[in-house]
Amino acid sequence: MGLQPASRTGIRVSATPLAYGLAPVAVGVALLFAQLATYVLPHANLSLVFLTAVLIMASRTGLGPGLLTGLLSFLAYNYFFIGPQFTFRVDDDGDIATLLFFLLMAAVTGNLAAGMRREMEKNQASIERLSSLHEFGQRMLSAVDEAQVVSLLRAQLRTALAVPVEVLTPGASGALTAPPQGAAEDLDPALADRAWSSTSSDPLEAGGWAFYRLRSPQGPLALVAIQSMPGSEGFNDLARSLCHQASLALDRVMLAGELAAAKLTSETEQLRSALLSSVSHDLRTPLASIIGSTSSLHDYGDAFSPHDRHELLATVLAEARRLDRYIQNLLDMTRIGQGAISLHRDWVDIRDLIASATARLQTAGEAPPPFDVHVDDEVPMLWVHGVLIEQALVNLLDNAARFSPPGGQVAIDAHRVEEHLEITVCDQGPGIPVEEQDKVFDMFYTVRQGDRVGQPGTGLGLAICRGLIGAHGGSVTAHTGHAGRGTCMVVRLPLLTPHTGAAT
Amino acid sequence: MSQASPSVVLIEDEAAIRKFLRISLEAHGYAVHEARLGEVGITLCAEKSPDLVILDMGLPDIDGQSVIARLRDWSQVPIVVLSVRSDERQKVAALDAGANDYVTKPFGVSELLARIRVLLRDREQGTADAAILSDGELRIDLRERRVWIAEREVRLTRKEFDLLKLFAKRRGRVLTHQQILNAVWGADRGAETQNLRVLVAALRQKLGDDPSRPRYLVTEPGVGYRFRTE
Repeated sequence: MGLQPASRTGIRVSATPLAYGLAPVAVGVALLFAQLATYVLPHANLSLVFLTAVLIMASRTGLGPGLLTGLLSFLAYNYFFIGPQFTFRVDDDGDIATLLFFLLMAAVTGNLAAGMRREMEKNQASIERLSSLHEFGQRMLSAVDEAQVVSLLRAQLRTALAVPVEVLTPGASGALTAPPQGAAEDLDPALADRAWSSTSSDPLEAGGWAFYRLRSPQGPLALVAIQSMPGSEGFNDLARSLCHQASLALDRVMLAGELAAAKLTSETEQLRSALLSSVSHDLRTPLASIIGSTSSLHDYGDAFSPHDRHELLATVLAEARRLDRYIQNLLDMTRIGQGAISLHRDWVDIRDLIASATARLQTAGEAPPPFDVHVDDEVPMLWVHGVLIEQALVNLLDNAARFSPPGGQVAIDAHRVEEHLEITVCDQGPGIPVEEQDKVFDMFYTVRQGDRVGQPGTGLGLAICRGLIGAHGGSVTAHTGHAGRGTCMVVRLPLLTPHTGAAT
Repeated sequence: MSQASPSVVLIEDEAAIRKFLRISLEAHGYAVHEARLGEVGITLCAEKSPDLVILDMGLPDIDGQSVIARLRDWSQVPIVVLSVRSDERQKVAALDAGANDYVTKPFGVSELLARIRVLLRDREQGTADAAILSDGELRIDLRERRVWIAEREVRLTRKEFDLLKLFAKRRGRVLTHQQILNAVWGADRGAETQNLRVLVAALRQKLGDDPSRPRYLVTEPGVGYRFRTE
């Protein structure tokens, strides 16, 4: 930052007439000091005073004013101190030699000091450049995607170089496009295209522009065009190192992307195998009961007592219903997984949803524990896809019922919390360890603890519940129940209306 | 059609479902005529003039929706639709097109028989309105527009009474939101389901109906309401 103005200011000041105007002043001051020094120094040594002035001028303002100071000092020294005084004439050969050396010294020291000054300016500049590069590198490290890298690079180049800079990226069609607010209207697109398709790895210079390509392992990613300025060799180095850093950052960003994709693939694989084993297990188990019971009724029905026949038929019915629920779960899961839930929102009374959810569980055949329902009077109508919310409730209640101890009950409570509806479903079951309270919503996850092992659960119900509530912009979380007992599932649904942006 | 056994035309392409339905229906005294295809079913309805039609929505030749529409061109025979789950919009469309009720596959036979009984009962009673409807607990005087619960009179607003009357005259049958809105508010007004929800909540409260366990007004998720009979 500020690199370019700093170096330029130095050069300009040394070239101003002001610096040359300072030369006579410096000589005048030196003359004054020399005059005073005549009382203590032999006059041959008075030249040291003038040399000091030459040194100071050369180091502060540059070589030109330094030399001018040297010449003026030579004349002043000659005029005022070399005999005959107050003439430019020199009688003594020794004095002539002194004067010549004096001029030489002025030139050499002035040159040296000016050189040192240039060196210092350069050092200053490279320190600033380094710190600017460092800062840029830091920001590049925090870039998360390709677009961010490119935009950071563009901003950095513009500030650092103060010349027209453009970063062009290939659009969807593969053709280069400059951003609409681009400052490079005088950049010839044909030129850019040629630089883009060039196979050379060196920067290309053409038509007053220098082109750098940002590459990733997959190929070139962006083209940087920088307008060339006379004598801006240092800028080219800077541009090159900025582009290099951007390329590294691109590498890193793309690698991170690939890693994430690989992780996703492996998670998908795990899910697929979990699904397969679940399907084969959860579809076959009820089928085994159904085929077993019906084949035995079919073949030996006459030999059974009416009671046994009834028992076998009840088994068939219950298992078939279980199969139906499981298939419904799989279908729901597929819809959620494909993001293919289309919400048909309408006004719904939460009481209706709770009523039909509990009714569905009661007709499912496996006598659920009693449900203790409380809906606050303040709860307004909901603008939701009722059937989906009902399904989410059924899954929560089914889960709570499955883990309820004999004689336990399930409490359902709905109330308004600011702009949300909060529904809690609390059971008196064994509870879920805190570290697993979020995992229970993962697909095919079933808590392996205490008496939950062996419970007929497919590990889909809660995942579906979260998916359905999530599709409405809400959340479901598991918490430890009252007094550390059981589990409370908390659903939070935003209270929307057709006018507050729930336009689906 | 007041013969001894009411007749049913069953339009369903799945042989296994036709078989268990025929066995169950015949055991309950219905005469069953089966059709595998929609076109055949429509012809069969014309030939047999059945008392009721059971129609599967997913037929191989024409879709159930157009079977309903074509039957309704010339017949008011009650139609019970066999629908698949998680497609409440299909049910609503079938009901709004003129079907009288539905059951969702997979279903228990008792559920289907209950629907059939309600529809055939309505048909027998025809339009001969009783002025007073009563189930022992709830008593409705349609002419005087008065309602009692366990001998205690309940004051209803005009709309609440219209809604109750609508349900009471179609006990046991499902009514879609749109059908109710049209009947209570009139087709021309742009009343929303929100108005309906509020009205139902108010009516339930006055009838002492617990919304979480309704005795009278049962919600059919995504479809509408049903006035419970027993």
